Amino acid sequence: MSAEASNPAATPTPCEDSQGDGRWMSQHVRFVSECKEREPDVVFVGDSLVQLMHQFGVWRQLFSPLHCLNFGIGGDATQHVLWRLSNGELDNISPKVVVLWVGTNNHGHTAEQIAGGIMEIVQLIHNKLPNAHTLVLGVLPRGRMPNPLRQRNAEVNKLVQDALSSLSHASFFNMDPGFVLSDGSISHQDMYDYLHLTAHGYQAVCEPLHAQIKSLLEKPAEN
Amino acid sequence: MSGDDLNPAAVALPVEDRQGDGRWMSQHTRFVQECKDGEPEVLFVGDSMVQLMEQYEIWKEMFSPLHALNFGLAGDTTCNVLWRLQNGELENIRPKVVVLWVGTNNHDHTAEQVAGGIVAIAQLLTNRLPKAKIVVLGLLPRGEQPNPLREKNAAVNRLLRSWLPRLGQALFLDVSNEFIHSDGTISSQDMFDYLHLTPTGYNILAKPLSDLLLQILEETPEERRPSLV
Repeated sequence: MSAEASNPAATPTPCEDSQGDGRWMSQHVRFVSECKEREPDVVFVGDSLVQLMHQFGVWRQLFSPLHCLNFGIGGDATQHVLWRLSNGELDNISPKVVVLWVGTNNHGHTAEQIAGGIMEIVQLIHNKLPNAHTLVLGVLPRGRMPNPLRQRNAEVNKLVQDALSSLSHASFFNMDPGFVLSDGSISHQDMYDYLHLTAHGYQAVCEPLHAQIKSLLEKPAEN
Repeated sequence: MSGDDLNPAAVALPVEDRQGDGRWMSQHTRFVQECKDGEPEVLFVGDSMVQLMEQYEIWKEMFSPLHALNFGLAGDTTCNVLWRLQNGELENIRPKVVVLWVGTNNHDHTAEQVAGGIVAIAQLLTNRLPKAKIVVLGLLPRGEQPNPLREKNAAVNRLLRSWLPRLGQALFLDVSNEFIHSDGTISSQDMFDYLHLTPTGYNILAKPLSDLLLQILEETPEERRPSLV
C-alpha cells in the first residue's frame, strides 16, 4: 500500500469547526469520556451510517445486549476517524471487537487512497488493542442509479478485502443484502436519501452483522 | 423587512451535484412524483430536521395519520427550499397546512437575511395555497455549549415572531427553550450530535406540533373537490 505520508486519507486530521458550534470536538470529547466510564466488549467506529444506527430500535434490540459503544460521527472520512482513534477513543478500554465502517465520505480521494486510509486505521487499532479483532464493513453503494461513487466504493471494498485476507486480527464483512435492484436502482425504502439507511434498511444489514459479531465474541481470546 | 431582490437567502437555488451521485436531484424528482400520486392534508418541507422525522416511529404514530407528506432534504438552505417549491413540489396538491422548518444551514447569511428567506418562502406558500395555514417552526439551538450559532438562530426566531403575523395565514411555533439545560448545555440524549434530534428530542417537538395541526385541521372546512369520474 502507498506511503502513508503522501496519502491524505491515511493522515490523522481533526475536523475543522467551519460552522462555529464546535460539534465535532464535543462529540469526540464525549466519546473519550465514555472510554473512561464504560467497559465495552464491542466498539463501533465510523461515520453517519454508524452514528444513525444508534438512533433506531435495532440498536437497543441487537447491540446494547452485547455491551457496545457507538463512536460514529456524521461526515467523517478515514482521516478523521484515524485522528479520533489516535487521540483517546481507544484508551482505557479493551473491547474484543472493533467494528469499522468508514470511507464513503472521502470525497476527492481515489479508491486506493481510501483503502489505504482504512488499512491505516486497522493497523492503529491493532497497535493499541493487540487482542481485539477488527471487523471492517464494506462501504455500501449510493445514489439512486449507477454513478461513479458506486464504482469507487466497490473498488475500495475489493482492495480492502484483498489486504485483509492475509491478517488474522481483522476481517472484511460485506453486509449489503442486495440494495441495488435488477434495474440498477436503489430504493428510498432502503435508503431514504440514497445514502442513509431507513429503519428497514438497518434491519436488513444489522441482522447478519449481529450474527457475525456474536460469533467473534464467542471465539476463545487470541494471544 | 429587507427587499427580497437584495436578500441572497431569498434567491431560489438548486444544490449542485458536487459529490457525483446526484442524490439531491433524485430526492427532488421523487417529491415531485409524490405530488402527482398523493393528496396530502399536511405538507412538511425543510432540511434534515424535517427529513429525519420521517425515519423515526413518531412519524408513523403522529403525522402519517394526518395524511402528511415529508419533503425534507438534508443540508437545504432557504434558497434550496424556495427552488424546490417553485419547481414542482407544490404542483397538484392542496394541503390544508404546510409545516416549514428551514434556516439552520444558511451559514453564509445573517440572521436578518435568513429570517427574510423564511418569510419569502411563507409568502410563496400563501400565494400558491391561499387557503392553507403555514406553520413555521423556530430554529432550534445547536452546539453542546453556548456559541454564535445559538445566538444567530435565536435572532432569526425573534425576527420571525415579529414579521410572520403580517402574513395572516402564518403561525409560529418555537420549542427552543425545552432543549437548553440550566447550565447552558444541550444533551446528547436530545440531539445526538448537538444538532439533529434523537427520538426523545422529537417527542418534545411532536406533541405541541401535533396538537396545533389537529386544531387547524378541525377548523378547516372540507373543500369540495370536482369528482374524478
